[in-house]
Amino acid sequence: MTNYGLVIDQERCIGCHACAVTCKQENNVGLGQYWNRVLTEGGDKMDTPAGTYPENGEDGTLEMSYQPTACQHCDNAPCVKVCPVNATYTREDGIVEIDYDKCIGCRYCMAACPYNARVFNWDEPQTVPEDGTGDVPARPQGVVEKCTFCSHRVEEGLDPACVVNCPADARIFGDLDNEESTVSKYIKKYQTTRLLEDRGTDPKTYYIRGEMSPGRPQTSDKMESELDDVSVWSEPKDNGPVEESGGSGGGGSHGSLSNDALPHVPAFEGGDD
Amino acid sequence: MSRETATSRFVVPEFGSAGKLWVGFLAAVVLVGVAAWAYQLTTGLVVTGMRNVFSWGLYIMMFVLFVGLSAGGLIISSAPKFFHSHRYEGFARLGVLVSLACITVAGLLILPDIGRPERLYQFFTSPDFRSPMVWDFGIVILYGALNLWYLWLLTRRDLAARGSRLALGVEDTDAGRERDRTLMFWTAAVALPTAVALHSVTGWIFATQIGRGDWFSPLVAPVFIAKALVSGLGLLLVVSILVSRFTRFSVDREELTSLGKVLGIFLAFHVVYLLAAERLPHAWADHFGFWAITESFLIGESAYFWLWTVVGGAVPLVMLALPSFRKRVSVIFTASALAVFGTTFEGVRLVFTGYDAANIDAAPGISVGGEYAGVTTDIWASAGSYTPTLVEIAVTAGVIAIGALIVTLGLRYVPIQAEPESTAVATDGGETRREDR
Repeated sequence: MTNYGLVIDQERCIGCHACAVTCKQENNVGLGQYWNRVLTEGGDKMDTPAGTYPENGEDGTLEMSYQPTACQHCDNAPCVKVCPVNATYTREDGIVEIDYDKCIGCRYCMAACPYNARVFNWDEPQTVPEDGTGDVPARPQGVVEKCTFCSHRVEEGLDPACVVNCPADARIFGDLDNEESTVSKYIKKYQTTRLLEDRGTDPKTYYIRGEMSPGRPQTSDKMESELDDVSVWSEPKDNGPVEESGGSGGGGSHGSLSNDALPHVPAFEGGDD
Repeated sequence: MSRETATSRFVVPEFGSAGKLWVGFLAAVVLVGVAAWAYQLTTGLVVTGMRNVFSWGLYIMMFVLFVGLSAGGLIISSAPKFFHSHRYEGFARLGVLVSLACITVAGLLILPDIGRPERLYQFFTSPDFRSPMVWDFGIVILYGALNLWYLWLLTRRDLAARGSRLALGVEDTDAGRERDRTLMFWTAAVALPTAVALHSVTGWIFATQIGRGDWFSPLVAPVFIAKALVSGLGLLLVVSILVSRFTRFSVDREELTSLGKVLGIFLAFHVVYLLAAERLPHAWADHFGFWAITESFLIGESAYFWLWTVVGGAVPLVMLALPSFRKRVSVIFTASALAVFGTTFEGVRLVFTGYDAANIDAAPGISVGGEYAGVTTDIWASAGSYTPTLVEIAVTAGVIAIGALIVTLGLRYVPIQAEPESTAVATDGGETRREDR
């Protein structure tokens, strides 16, 4: 069985909001709505740290990190359980998705979601340009919508847009049921947390905190399961830097960028940042 | 065999000018509500005060209230029947009528809250039986049907005796009346657990949710039962007193006083005991010093808390507790009205505790959606805020007016005043009751 999940390396995240923006573009998310947003863990405002400046010879305590937040695609998803008409359901591959034809717009799922990951079309959604920029079904006024892990891309063997377009390679998408997948390996190897774990929702989105991971290994648009040769990066030898494999996977869609992007950061050094 | 001796009467034989004015007023309020709903349907729920963080509002708050209000009448009329008692017989029919009106209002209030009401058929074609909302949908419809059936059962022989078409062909016979009494017992036997289920299931809509503050509490269902007893009985008393003032309906003073006392007991159980039971563990666990614990236990967090516990709890409780005081109709009326008023704010408070704080409130927060004017960049909120709009108020008032219309028309076309058979000669007849009826 496939059970898709997402690993977000908060040590890698640079807070650029590219995942939030590309999500809007890919999914034609209406103005005033976000399926995916980048939260600042720190001060009261976006991009502000908590703590104090280093003054009078004392050490400062300034601290800030970014937490990209979208639907967590929970295994025990309360939104799926509360939906009276089976409009929100869990797919065979673990993705929590909405059937917009069935949704009656009662918003019980929004009450159920502890992450506030869902948005409601309070009026007819507007996009710029009018027809939108992504190739997804339109959602009418009066339904709830949210992140789909870009299921329309996943079905074509492509990673979600936020994963592909993360310039810091901080987002890794894959099959949690496959022990050989990068997500499974990272979850095993690195210290991960899940949001509001105490609520028992069993989310499939994991956040790496502490030691930085090598990030998303492939530069291809394709999911790693679609790549021909995964052995190069899936079994790194003695903690060495992860080798680039984008070209060999046949995913040349990054074009010339795939060569520029060759060395990712050294894998397991400098983990204190 | 049709019996000519009336055992009941219509309390509004026909609408006078005041009655016509009242019905006209209610119809106007309904029309305004329908127009407001039509506007909301075309423009979207953006015309309400609800947004992504605070995604349920006045409609759900009032739904919770009216589900509770629908309890009183049915319980007061069916509980004695179940125990083969004739207590509160004078309130039985009016009680069921009020219950029917309230559950209709509650059910209808869901419609404007739905984003796409035209898809409601999905409840039948694609239900998920894990959803408490499906349970509630079923139980609200069952409860409404039960009220309608019960009201008809209570009055159908009398309707037949008067040749009303509402008797639907039933004939007024002694054997039929005897059989109806058995049916009433069995209906009461079904009605009581159904009422308990209705309020519990409505409570569980909230109590099952781990994501919304204080909603996730096993106490919510029992609190909903207690709340239903308080507000339902309160409303029945208010309506009884009003109806006896403005129509030929007469209430038995002794029973009225007795029900006032019962309301006092319900209030004490609900507002004093259950609330204390709910608050104490939190207050104790969160604070260290004795006075800090006491303060957190006693002092609520919002105006809604005080409106509910003091105005709707302590004040009516004291009014109904003072022996010299509680026999006055004006006192019973005021205390009951306050109890209903206070319970309103309990539902309001419940919804607010779920939505006013977000579990993950880091900046910038949650996109609220709707009304993006392109002028401000502030589409974010890290906490919920809500004020109902005029549209919501108009729609809600319209739906409530439908309930008032149901009661008004019921008073006109259904013999609401049951009368002892022996005194049933004059249609405005006696105040006396026969215990063996």
